[in-house]
Amino acid sequence: MKKRQIGMLLCAAAAAITLAGCGSGKTKTEDTKAGQESSKETGKESSQAAAGGDVVIKVFSNLPDRTSGQGLIEQTLFDQYMEKNPNVKIQVEALDDESYKTKFKAYASGSDMPDLVNAWGQPSFLDEVIDAGLLAELNPADYNDYGFIQGALDGFSKDGKLYGLARNTDVMAFYYNKSMFEKYGVKVPETYDDLLAAVNTFKAAGVIPVSMDGSDKWPLSIYINALYQQYNGSTSSKEIREAVKTGDYSNEAWTKSLDQLKKSIDAGIFQTGFETTDYATSMNLFTNGQAAMYYMGSWEMSMATNENIPEEIRNNIGVFNMPAVEGGKGTKTDLTAWNGGGHAVTANSKVKAEAIKLLNYMYQPENWSKLCWEKGVCMSAQNFSQYLTGKETALQLEFVDKVNNATSISGVTFNDLGTNQFKTVSEDASVEFAIGQLTAKDFTDKLAGAMKK
Amino acid sequence: MHKLYSNKKVIFTLMAPGLFVFAAAILAPILLSVYYGFTDYSGIGKSSFIGLDNYKTLFQDSVFWTALRNSLFLAIGFICIQHPLAMLTAIKLDKLQGKAEGLFRCIFFIPNVISVAVIAYLWKFIYNPNFGLVTKVLKNLGFTGQLNLLGSGNAIWSVLIVLIWHGFGWGMLIYYTGVKNIDPVMYEAASIDGANGRDIFFHITLPLMKPVIQVNVTMAVIAALKQMETVYLLTAGGPGNETQFMASYLYKQAFQSYKYGYGNSISVMFIVICLISTVALNRIFAERGE
Repeated sequence: MKKRQIGMLLCAAAAAITLAGCGSGKTKTEDTKAGQESSKETGKESSQAAAGGDVVIKVFSNLPDRTSGQGLIEQTLFDQYMEKNPNVKIQVEALDDESYKTKFKAYASGSDMPDLVNAWGQPSFLDEVIDAGLLAELNPADYNDYGFIQGALDGFSKDGKLYGLARNTDVMAFYYNKSMFEKYGVKVPETYDDLLAAVNTFKAAGVIPVSMDGSDKWPLSIYINALYQQYNGSTSSKEIREAVKTGDYSNEAWTKSLDQLKKSIDAGIFQTGFETTDYATSMNLFTNGQAAMYYMGSWEMSMATNENIPEEIRNNIGVFNMPAVEGGKGTKTDLTAWNGGGHAVTANSKVKAEAIKLLNYMYQPENWSKLCWEKGVCMSAQNFSQYLTGKETALQLEFVDKVNNATSISGVTFNDLGTNQFKTVSEDASVEFAIGQLTAKDFTDKLAGAMKK
Repeated sequence: MHKLYSNKKVIFTLMAPGLFVFAAAILAPILLSVYYGFTDYSGIGKSSFIGLDNYKTLFQDSVFWTALRNSLFLAIGFICIQHPLAMLTAIKLDKLQGKAEGLFRCIFFIPNVISVAVIAYLWKFIYNPNFGLVTKVLKNLGFTGQLNLLGSGNAIWSVLIVLIWHGFGWGMLIYYTGVKNIDPVMYEAASIDGANGRDIFFHITLPLMKPVIQVNVTMAVIAALKQMETVYLLTAGGPGNETQFMASYLYKQAFQSYKYGYGNSISVMFIVICLISTVALNRIFAERGE
């Protein structure tokens, strides 16, 4: 009997050791995970530690590159804030868009959400998040003198309440290579027919007319949206919203835009295999001088200062908007532009007041707006005309000009106006239509079907 | 001691840690997956139980069937193209002897040790219709048309070639070991009896390689069903959904459309299909084995 008891005891001890082994194994993986995350916390960590902050604000960002572009600006502002407020410690965790969205969901289902997060002022992202009560309400009156341009905060508002602030104004347009246009005697297209004529000229010369990132799909959706604006005129924004909501795509501007896109593709407007060309490759085609034009957003305006791009190309980049179509109500000043990414504070944050303070600090016009512009990174969603330095690149100024002279602005494009499901379906459909797998009717049917439960 | 081991409590205590890990790390997630497969969970907020709706949608979802068909196509491609090639190469390699044998064995295995991400980008550039290797070579040979190897209709074949190329070395290495294990005395005896190369291959090499073939075919089928990373990086399932595979489609539904419920129902079907094919393969080989 005694023997047996000892045996049992030994067994229990063995089990305990094994379990302990498991336990320590687990903490170990957690440690490494924390290590990985902390390795992403760039900036002045040593000074943070020395300050021994009383308030810790956790930031979850979609700008993983903290040493250039918008990531650097975000980090610079955080560092400045910590210097001014020694009792505050800011911890940054940054992932790229796709991983960010996935982890955001994971955070959302737990109770420990970061305090300041990145958000997109588009229904496909924000609706669900607001409905789940994840974001803190902001006081719109706080931002009266922040100089946000008209409509910039619409994407972050729902039912009259404000939930976040928009970072940038994004404009979608054709970048073009000025010297190439000169060489082949092509003028900047005033009408869509001019554009198609230019396509023929470049095709004949063996140059890719427009470089398109079809692998990401959304540039094609935006192209359709831009054409729609040209056919339908300045009221497009409202009508597109209605169409997505009701599933009624009977407005003939849809068919006309789709037909025009098809016609352009048949004429060879995009490079062969555009449907599988990814972002970087499509950009390279343009920056290496293989393509005469590149359809992309204003966030790439830093091409003009990017020293990795050959000088004769980077100094010769111009930009034009989707040209007017025959029989369309739009003009070339009807911009395809929106205020997409931004920041928000989470509702259950333990340091909500502090996080909102940080948010407000970041968005004071002399911070985000000014820094972004001076570094030539992007155009903020605020009026930054007072920060013009006179040292801007021609490309930057062209964009400012476009925004200042816009007769109408599209707002968020159709692919981002529905649910996540709608986003994937409509973007897939855009490519499938472009490569001839769907007819215009199939396309609109798919879009209508995607919003139904 | 014997008494100790026959005590059920002792057995349980000894088994508990293992069982616990299995239950927590494998069983629970699978059960959760089955549960979520019956809901319309989107990752955020509340979900409701919707019964078999996800499965009904799934059976009508043409992309799911495309994905399944692509997986089968890949499995057949592996079995009918990659493996015969791998086996013949292994046999040839065995006959080479000396330094050349080691050198070629190494060369054939190189694609296998390169990371999938590198492979995918490498081939993306080779296939690129504007500046890719294939286009350049064809142009120099006087071909003037446009060839879009990752375009509609071609993409699935291009993917197949990459996957065959990538997995070739692994299959070959296993066949090579199989060939090496065949007793050379057999070949000598057969030659003395007047058998030619063909006879030797069909009556000695092939039958003796059966266990190796069995392992290799099973692995090929599993690899085909599991295919995800290469195709995701190479075509992302495109153009359209032409090169979607089950795992990549699951990822797309769950992590791009954020239909976790639906994604889970795909994963349940995925498990079922994997189990069925494994059982079927075992049956086939078991019958042959007798």
